[in-house]
Amino acid sequence: MDQETVSTICYLARLKIDQTKSEKIQNDLETIIELISGLQSIDTSNIKPLYSPLEMTALTHEDEEKSDNKKEKFLENAPASNDDYFLVPRVVE
Amino acid sequence: MIWETVIGLETHVQLSTKTKLFSRASTAFGASPNTNVNLVDCGLPGVLPSVNKEAFYKAIRFGIAIGAQINQTSIFDRKNYFYADLPKGYQITQMDLPIVLGGSIEIITDDSSKTINITRAHLEEDAGKSIHDEYDGFSAIDLNRAGTPLLEIVSEPEISSAKEAVAYMKAMHQLVTYLDVSDGNMAQGSLRCDANVSIRKKGNKELGTRTEIKNINSFKFIEKAINYEVKRQIKILENGEKVTQETRLYDSVKDETRPMRSKEFANDYRYFPEPDLLPVVISNEEMQTIKDEFPELPKEKENRYIKEFNLSAYDAQIIASSKSMADFFEDAAKKTTNYSLLSNWLIGDISAFLNKEMIEIHESKLNSDNVAMLINRIDDQTISGKIGKSIFEEMWVSGSSPDEIIESQGLKQISDDGAIEEIIMTVIRDNPDQVEAYLGGKDKLFGFFVGQVMKLTEGKANPQAVNKILKEQLKK
Repeated sequence: MDQETVSTICYLARLKIDQTKSEKIQNDLETIIELISGLQSIDTSNIKPLYSPLEMTALTHEDEEKSDNKKEKFLENAPASNDDYFLVPRVVE
Repeated sequence: MIWETVIGLETHVQLSTKTKLFSRASTAFGASPNTNVNLVDCGLPGVLPSVNKEAFYKAIRFGIAIGAQINQTSIFDRKNYFYADLPKGYQITQMDLPIVLGGSIEIITDDSSKTINITRAHLEEDAGKSIHDEYDGFSAIDLNRAGTPLLEIVSEPEISSAKEAVAYMKAMHQLVTYLDVSDGNMAQGSLRCDANVSIRKKGNKELGTRTEIKNINSFKFIEKAINYEVKRQIKILENGEKVTQETRLYDSVKDETRPMRSKEFANDYRYFPEPDLLPVVISNEEMQTIKDEFPELPKEKENRYIKEFNLSAYDAQIIASSKSMADFFEDAAKKTTNYSLLSNWLIGDISAFLNKEMIEIHESKLNSDNVAMLINRIDDQTISGKIGKSIFEEMWVSGSSPDEIIESQGLKQISDDGAIEEIIMTVIRDNPDQVEAYLGGKDKLFGFFVGQVMKLTEGKANPQAVNKILKEQLKK
């Protein structure tokens, strides 16, 4: 782990960090990775992956429409909107 | 140097469910902006998704049809990235355990056929829609599409030309519409693809560097975009340069592909299992129901049409090739008994009109009641085939029924012998010179008399009756 990795991770998560704390964050992340990497030493080659710790299956719904649209409320709570749309700073590919 | 093109396609099929993949908001196309959105779709904190099983059933139907392995236990993963029309900051998709694994699709180009293997097909949610150029300085976001179920079908890189890519997409379109997995409406984005294109020296085992052309949504553009990209890459390689691995967009106006603005960092989606959703398990009973209710596929339909309706192999194949046409034929066949006349009309005039406007029959103003009625009126000689064509043109434009048109325009065929005889007598009386010439041996003039009768009756006289009575009267 180096400072560049820290800034990449922050960029991916869109987090702005206090540069004076960057080094502490790097140390914290290194500790976490070290801790977790202990798991890598266990041989799991013959074990079926566990996709969920709960022995339950997903909640499902019927394919029948049930509308609870709150368009006005949704738009009202957005930082910017007009009558129909959420407005965001222009993004163009 | 002989170059070889290698193409793999990622097809996004919008599933024709009534509700979204993880919520019960409607998926209807064309609703007013941000009205088909609920708490889950706009990514509010504290809400939990539930799974639409119908989307799974449709995906499984597709998997069975291509002979794939179905994972009865499948899980969802998070694909993390930020974009304004992705409300949660991640897309729920399937990475590790997709619902469909393997299988293959048969494609036909010109006269040869080829099998394209499928790597996998997985379920995922669609994003919302961004509108970039209508509001100054802003992008406008409509979340109606957010959460709509998609089946992403990934092919092996076994497609070797733009032509084959089109054939693959056509086969895909036929399959998903037949299976009722999707409405297949390309103009509305129900079927679109990304093409991974690379070039290598013929005989090379190793793949060349590929580019990905994003979001192509018509058969025509698939062919043009790939052809452009192949030429571009060959030119680069022949100049001794290297192809850059990148994502490109096809611009149909300029007929070229160009790179999408490159991101500051390479994408890193940091997939991990979706903690909000437990594994989805499809029971053996559910699998059995899907198999029991499996829809009839084109080849089966074709054979049935030959047996049940006595259609020629050629007619049966053309009608069965499109789900929309086949449904229409079967509906209309319930209301008329002249199946061969019905199929002639569908393949002939009706297809010609559809092709001209590039629409499918269910998108036209025609309905099976009216077309069956038209066939019946020709069959029972209320109208001639020729008048039938002009009635059809009116039906095409106005959507009116043939009987209404026959009534309002007075097009009913004159089959009454007495009335026809009267008109024929007038024609004979008014053209003594021609009668003399005809009787003197100019047989060809017979057509002239028929023409005169048709002119006076505005084409409404029954041609068989005219021929018969005219012959009798001219002899007198």
